[in-house]
Amino acid sequence: MYFLEKAKLPQLFELLKRDYEIYGPVQDEVSGEVIFDRVPESSGFDLEAPIPYNPPKFVLFPHFEEILKYRYERQTKRVAIERINLLQPKVLLGLRSCDLTGILCLDRFFLGQEFVDEVYLEHRKKLFIISNTCVRPFPQCFCVCTDSGPSAREGFDLNLTYTGPGYLVEVGSKKGQKLVEEMILPEAGLEASRLKKRIIDDSVLSFDRVALENKAWISRATNRLTTGFVRPEVWEYIGHQCFECGACAFVCPTCSCFNIEDVNFRTGDTYRVRTWDSCSFEGYTKMAGDHNPRKPVEDRRNKRFFCKLSYSQSKKYLRPGCVGCGRCARVCPGDIGLPNVVTYIRREITGD
Amino acid sequence: MSVSTMVPIVTVPEVATIVDIRDEIAEVKTFYFVFDNPEIERSFRVRSGQFIMCTVFGAGEFAVSLPFSPENDRRHISVRKVGKVTAALHELQPGDKIGIRGPFGNGFPFEEIKGQNIIYVAGGIGLIPLRSSIVHVLQHRSEFGRVILVYGARSSRDLMYKESIQEWKATENFETYFTIDRPEPGWSGEVGFVNQLVARLELPVEKTVAFVCGPPVMFNSVIKELKAKGIKEQNIYSTLERHMKCGIGKCQHCAIGRTLVCVDGPVYTYKQIKTLGEQI
Repeated sequence: MYFLEKAKLPQLFELLKRDYEIYGPVQDEVSGEVIFDRVPESSGFDLEAPIPYNPPKFVLFPHFEEILKYRYERQTKRVAIERINLLQPKVLLGLRSCDLTGILCLDRFFLGQEFVDEVYLEHRKKLFIISNTCVRPFPQCFCVCTDSGPSAREGFDLNLTYTGPGYLVEVGSKKGQKLVEEMILPEAGLEASRLKKRIIDDSVLSFDRVALENKAWISRATNRLTTGFVRPEVWEYIGHQCFECGACAFVCPTCSCFNIEDVNFRTGDTYRVRTWDSCSFEGYTKMAGDHNPRKPVEDRRNKRFFCKLSYSQSKKYLRPGCVGCGRCARVCPGDIGLPNVVTYIRREITGD
Repeated sequence: MSVSTMVPIVTVPEVATIVDIRDEIAEVKTFYFVFDNPEIERSFRVRSGQFIMCTVFGAGEFAVSLPFSPENDRRHISVRKVGKVTAALHELQPGDKIGIRGPFGNGFPFEEIKGQNIIYVAGGIGLIPLRSSIVHVLQHRSEFGRVILVYGARSSRDLMYKESIQEWKATENFETYFTIDRPEPGWSGEVGFVNQLVARLELPVEKTVAFVCGPPVMFNSVIKELKAKGIKEQNIYSTLERHMKCGIGKCQHCAIGRTLVCVDGPVYTYKQIKTLGEQI
């Protein structure tokens, strides 16, 4: 382990800037919200800011992405198809362990199933990840229940842990090692691992008691969801509260449903565009001719929670699809974020 | 034949030329196509029951099942004009270009069911995906037991693939039954719904698989009859349709139960379909 003085953060930033576009937690001037966004200046980011409103998945899986460009001239019958590949190497600076876990879920899903998603792969290959331990949990968090925090164990190039005067730096890859050497960071000393362990233990102990108590209930809910033993009335209750706004999917670090549209431009070019989508939308499964096999809202809602918690989905992610960031609970106008859904399932089990 | 070595076209569509277009029934046309790249034209292989993603340039992409046999059959798709993209496809003329990705999906069993009897039951344009398997099986006729087709449509005008039907009627060792909903002058086949015809027929039960494809009402009633005759649920196959965007198991639009139609399907046994927990 190495040590990075707080005062040296700008130097780290400048070094990264040489090769990468930098993304990190930035406080929005107007709303005061912390947003994970492009950071142009070293003064523009705050590693110890609260967990960002949005996960960093948009860096790898943009809201709106042109994946192909083509042009068909009907007179001459000429077709030209181009792959769009203008990707800059990017660095995710100071992402939280829940969000890193989310990226690992996306990796396993996009790269590890029957087919490799070539578009995602291009983004992923050029990514440098610097994660940051949560030395204090935030009020919305329950990563201790989903085994995804408060400190990252894998998947990073560098992992930071804030100690006060600076950061303990763990190296997770050759790329990370190279950067540490280039910065000539000093070794953190023999006490470093013990110090880090104490920091994490303190963090775990300061989680809200509700989060800690929920731990067992999440696995019981998982069991119920997988075996299909949640009664339809529970889904109806949840469905009635759903506004079908899709916000939960957009702030979820592991939600990755997308839509594809071909968009014509006046120049005669067509772009094949991939955009985020959400299973809460009614049109999500609607086929041409208006047949929709998945109609009622509760039918679509249980899909989401099935996707987040069931064993069969966990097989694709090699872990539960929920990383405990609490964002869905924060944005949901109908108050059916994942923790509440677990509560409803818990009530069904206990009969409260 | 190296069926399994074909690498599907995943991201960038391969350009193909429409070489011939035929009107099948109202709103349904068949488009014959040839790949522009001779290497792809030579190596493109499918299994019956698979599907492709077809790009209509400037309009979009849609998933469509394959009606042609994996061996010695002209490549074509049969498409009903039902939405924006298929309407644009129907505007195209021979010589126009389309884009193809795929083939995707699992396909109907073929090797696994050699030696068994096969009952095909199709309703309306449900014959499209079954045609691929029918032609393939007939090409290997001696390797199967009894082969039976029961095909129904609203009227004689709504029967797909009239040319193939003529051929099949004349094919030895292929029992074919055709039915239309109401009597028509000049119609010599059966009259009534497909399920009623299935109920009346003497069908094999042991060592028998059934492939069923058609509109949901027809599908459910036919399944009932087949089960009544004693055909096991795991031996009844069908192919499902869902809204699809990627074809490679990533966009999740075709998720049904714990499966994705594009990679785990589109062919399912009735036993599986029952557990998926969604309507057909």
